[in-house]
Amino acid sequence: MELSDEALCRRVAERDEAAFDLLVERYRERAWRLAWSVLRHAEDARDVTQEAFVRLYEAAGSFGGRARFSTWFYRVVLNLCLDHRRRNRWWRLWARDEDEAQGGGLLERQPAPSHDPVDQLGREQTMSALWAAVDRLAPRQRATVLLSVQEELSTAEIATVLKCSEATVRVHLHRALKTLRQTVERR
Amino acid sequence: MANHPDSDLVPYVRGELAPADRERVARHLEDCPECREDATAVRALLENLARSVPAPPPIHWGRWRAELRARLDGRRGRHAWWWRPVPLALSASLAGVLLVLAILGGPPRPTGSDPASVEEVLLGRRLELLRQLSLVERLDLLEDLDIIGQLDRLTATSEG
Ligand SMILES: [Zn+2]
Repeated sequence: MELSDEALCRRVAERDEAAFDLLVERYRERAWRLAWSVLRHAEDARDVTQEAFVRLYEAAGSFGGRARFSTWFYRVVLNLCLDHRRRNRWWRLWARDEDEAQGGGLLERQPAPSHDPVDQLGREQTMSALWAAVDRLAPRQRATVLLSVQEELSTAEIATVLKCSEATVRVHLHRALKTLRQTVERR
Repeated sequence: MANHPDSDLVPYVRGELAPADRERVARHLEDCPECREDATAVRALLENLARSVPAPPPIHWGRWRAELRARLDGRRGRHAWWWRPVPLALSASLAGVLLVLAILGGPPRPTGSDPASVEEVLLGRRLELLRQLSLVERLDLLEDLDIIGQLDRLTATSEG
């Protein structure tokens, strides 16, 4: 029988290396995707992702088991991203252009079904503009959008990750979508 | 139309509302073309976003694993130190620093009745406190470098 994330985490707290490896296997892609989407910088995201698993290894014992492991771990990743971003703000401004040049391609996943190439191009441009607008949102709004749209977390789960009320998550999401709508409608 | 259910539209569209709230929003949408339009736009926006999530750049997982291993090994010696009871003088000084931080921080000053902005202030403050705390931890770490060195050797001999 496959062990739950929570059970694995309890084993990690008892220094079970195999359990740790399994959790790494299950969560590395998600951690990488989230860290990259927050930081938009491959090296930083790599650093944060590894650090998140080190923290998991060190602090598995403090996982209470009341929340789901996934929300707890998302919180670890997000906190590390915030901390990383704050410490490296001046550096990031400098390095940003270079990183964007290397960039992870937009729209690689699930291209929209369309047969008209012109329509498709216009659509891709709109979506690129939309995600660029996501990147410009205030950090908390952006986090709620990423967690809900990209990680497919429910409002309740996002509230757990961000340690705030569901009402607050709804307000953030509402404001974020309002801003994003304006971006699309201006085009 | 008094109360437009603005922030309920996203959870409504995502089917996350409790039955009573869902009912309330649905009834409102029947009578309010403005909110109906908003709900349609929100649904389209969420679908478009979900379909076009930017893919992260490819990563060499083998190398990433090796780096993670190295990081873990590097931290293990220090780890043992973390679990030791904090010496009395050190914990007293840490408590002192925390007290000063708490006083300097003062009580939270929410800017309005808006729950988002209140929590934003509190969270920001908490994050800032955490940052300062980690700075304190790093300082403590430097003071205890000798002990850590000793512990590293201990771990090496017991494992090797
Ligand atoms: Zn309305």
